Amino acid sequence: MYRYDEFDAALVRERIAEFSDQVNRRSSGELTEDEFKPLRLMNGVYLQLHAYMARIAVPYGVMNSRQMRQLAHVARTYDKGYGHFTTRTNIQFNWPALQDLPAILSDLADVEMHAIQTSGNCIRNVTTDVFAGVATDEIEDPRPWCEIIRQWSTIHPEFSFLPRKFKIAVIGAAKDRAAIRTHDVGLQIVCGEDGETAFRVFVGGGQGRLPHIAQEIASAVPGQSLLAYLTAILRAYNLLGRRDNIHKARIKILVAAVGIDAFREEVERQYEILRLEDLRIPEAELARIQAYFTPPPFADLPATSPAYDAARRLNAEFARFIRSNLREHKQAGYGAIIISLKPVDGVPGDITADQMEVVADLAERFSFDEVRASYEQNLVLPHVRLEDVHAVWSRLRKTGLATANADLATDIIACPGLDYCSLANARSIPVAQALSRQLADADLQEKLGPVRINISGCINACGHHHVGHIGVLGVDRKGEEYYQITVGGSPDEQAALGEIVGRSLPAEEVAPAIARALDRYLEIRAEGELFIDTVRRLGADPFRTAIYEPIDAAA
Amino acid sequence: MQLLEQAPDGVRLTVSTPAEDIRAAAAANDSLILEFETFRDGRGFSLAAVLRGQGYQGRLIAAGKILPDQVRHLRRCGFDAVELTPGADPAPWRRMDQVFSAAYQPASGDDLLVWRRRHAPAAEDAVALAARLNAQWADADADDLLRAVLDPALGRKAVAISSFGAEAAVLLHLISRVQPHLPVVFLETGQHFFQTLAYRRELTERLGLTEVRDVQPDAASLAASDPHGDLWRHAPDACCDLRKVQPLAKGLEGFDTRITGRKRYQNRQRATLDPFEAIDGVLAVNPLASWSAEQIETWLHDHQLPRHPLVEQGYPSIGCWPCTRAVEAGENARDGRWSGQEKTECGIHGRTLAPAC
Repeated sequence: MYRYDEFDAALVRERIAEFSDQVNRRSSGELTEDEFKPLRLMNGVYLQLHAYMARIAVPYGVMNSRQMRQLAHVARTYDKGYGHFTTRTNIQFNWPALQDLPAILSDLADVEMHAIQTSGNCIRNVTTDVFAGVATDEIEDPRPWCEIIRQWSTIHPEFSFLPRKFKIAVIGAAKDRAAIRTHDVGLQIVCGEDGETAFRVFVGGGQGRLPHIAQEIASAVPGQSLLAYLTAILRAYNLLGRRDNIHKARIKILVAAVGIDAFREEVERQYEILRLEDLRIPEAELARIQAYFTPPPFADLPATSPAYDAARRLNAEFARFIRSNLREHKQAGYGAIIISLKPVDGVPGDITADQMEVVADLAERFSFDEVRASYEQNLVLPHVRLEDVHAVWSRLRKTGLATANADLATDIIACPGLDYCSLANARSIPVAQALSRQLADADLQEKLGPVRINISGCINACGHHHVGHIGVLGVDRKGEEYYQITVGGSPDEQAALGEIVGRSLPAEEVAPAIARALDRYLEIRAEGELFIDTVRRLGADPFRTAIYEPIDAAA
Repeated sequence: MQLLEQAPDGVRLTVSTPAEDIRAAAAANDSLILEFETFRDGRGFSLAAVLRGQGYQGRLIAAGKILPDQVRHLRRCGFDAVELTPGADPAPWRRMDQVFSAAYQPASGDDLLVWRRRHAPAAEDAVALAARLNAQWADADADDLLRAVLDPALGRKAVAISSFGAEAAVLLHLISRVQPHLPVVFLETGQHFFQTLAYRRELTERLGLTEVRDVQPDAASLAASDPHGDLWRHAPDACCDLRKVQPLAKGLEGFDTRITGRKRYQNRQRATLDPFEAIDGVLAVNPLASWSAEQIETWLHDHQLPRHPLVEQGYPSIGCWPCTRAVEAGENARDGRWSGQEKTECGIHGRTLAPAC
């Protein structure tokens, strides 16, 4: 993984000095709260319902054990002993005291971490495929490009006061495991005409109040021109994006308003006046960054291990964990383990300091000192020898981290909701907990197969409800918390927005309603058909009926 | 970045003006004022970048609602100056402009680019670098020497030192032509002739230098060592140390290259001065090393540069008032400095050159 050199380290320290200066000017009254707010947001500091919240960047989700241990230290020393992984692969601490923030940032800087641009109207943390460098279908590892974008976008002079936030995701395979079409800009590595790295570029995706699936603006931008092309897109957006209405300020609204073809022309106009020689990534720099992401020194192993096979045969619980939480690795004899942060009755994405330390130990011992955060709010040990999987599982199991539900119905994405968030209309966590209890039966979940259920506590859609196979949106109905259900959304290369099935339901009816929809799927699915494919084939109607028939009958 | 109490009269457009109108205004004017209606509206940054991308060479001044925290962004997007709101304290603007030592992304100006510095040839030590540059630029004129040392590819972080004395205008004029935003340190010793302070203001304004910094003695040390301001009477070396050497060391922190106006003809110690030298690991650059007094005079005259008011009163070299006197006919220019003492240098130019300090 990437390691800071003297320049990266200096910049992070200087950023803390800058922020301390800003905090002092706020304290002395030199800065008004209105002026201070965007500055603190760009340093990851929110004011939530009950306390400040600090959002720490995990660039493209990659961490080492030292960093994970430091997060545990922060959770324990400055917070209530836990943290929350987000859909932007960042981690949030919900209870820090404002006066501790400089110390937290300094402790993080000690392990090459920061909170820069985790909020605010600027370019946010770049995300990627959690299986980058692992997946068998990958054309090229996207992480070096993520790091290049991270550096280029950090404290960008032109793009720090955009109309609204700006999110970029990068993938290196045709299969989209990073939901790039829900991003302001999505980048897919493709093979250019000359055989060199190129990027298929999507623009104008986004969730929130007015969701849009991104549209293709370029089919193959050469790697060397990537930053110039991104600059042209952002410049067009910065000049033309709406600033009169916060709900219409994202690039998706601009692209939809002018049309993708007109927007493309505008980007090309901006591209022409760029000093391209400045924006070309120096080849030596590209090579330097790529060198950090060369594969770890894998052992030459057979495709499977007798001990691993025996353990699967003998231990049904372990075998289930393998079926749901182990992913194929491009290196023979290795696998990637998903550590689910979605135990039954748990808070999706939450992890305690003790658990963080266990994960750090396992990463150090069994996964070349690497652990990843996924946008589904789970963790991944990317490079585990198959013969070590049982040992890893045993340790995870002891610490409550071996829930065998990755990508299954209880692997729920949920925002913090009204329990923490000042924007929320309704709570998300209790609904996710009720749903995980309702669907806790592991056999049932396996029978249902992959189902993505996503819950947001408000229309801002941090819980990705629009693109859940089943989505749940919290709404405020005359002071009561109600929930709207959608089906048919999808975050991947066949991205789609879910369809609202009907009127919103009170909290206690949500989990039974979803259970009925899933039962209906089992009844009507074709042989081997996934839930989302059944929805695509038959539409929302069968599920609408399943959800509302008993309620209507009772009324 | 120049901080203005008030922008000069000129075309003033808000950042919500359509880009074509701004472009037309730029084509017709050599100075533009862009007014921010709210600091959150970042269009002005892109407008400046576009104008510079289209080749606009004129002056760009930012005005309106802007935070000190944005001054660095403004500079890097191509603005030359900011109009402060009436009564604003310039200190945070200066601090925030200099808070980062380097930047990742290319932009206007000559900020040190991380991506370039990483791949600069392995850092030479100052001695080797000075030797190489002396050989390479043996016959270069002062402009070229300055450009050579300020070339971003060399990856140096440079600062100029100026006394704003009798001949200072020449070096500052050259700097204003090559890089007007180069930081220039002026030692505000607290013992200057008031004419020097007036001249510092006049010359800075006239040349459009945007980064002249007054470096002052530490207030606590001053109170402890020189409460009555008369240390110069009995211990001039200690006075120089307190009011010049120590503050300068602080003012130069973070810089690895300093540009001075020293010349060989000034005194015996400087007689063999090279354009480039290494002093305590720092690269010192003396673009005027080989200039004669006549060349200096000619340059000042030809470019109609303002003269220090004391020159016509017989002060050819000007330091603090207690230790500077006018010289008589036949004396060397620097004979008026620390007159009657063995002292010839204050010590700011390093031990290697001034062991007597």
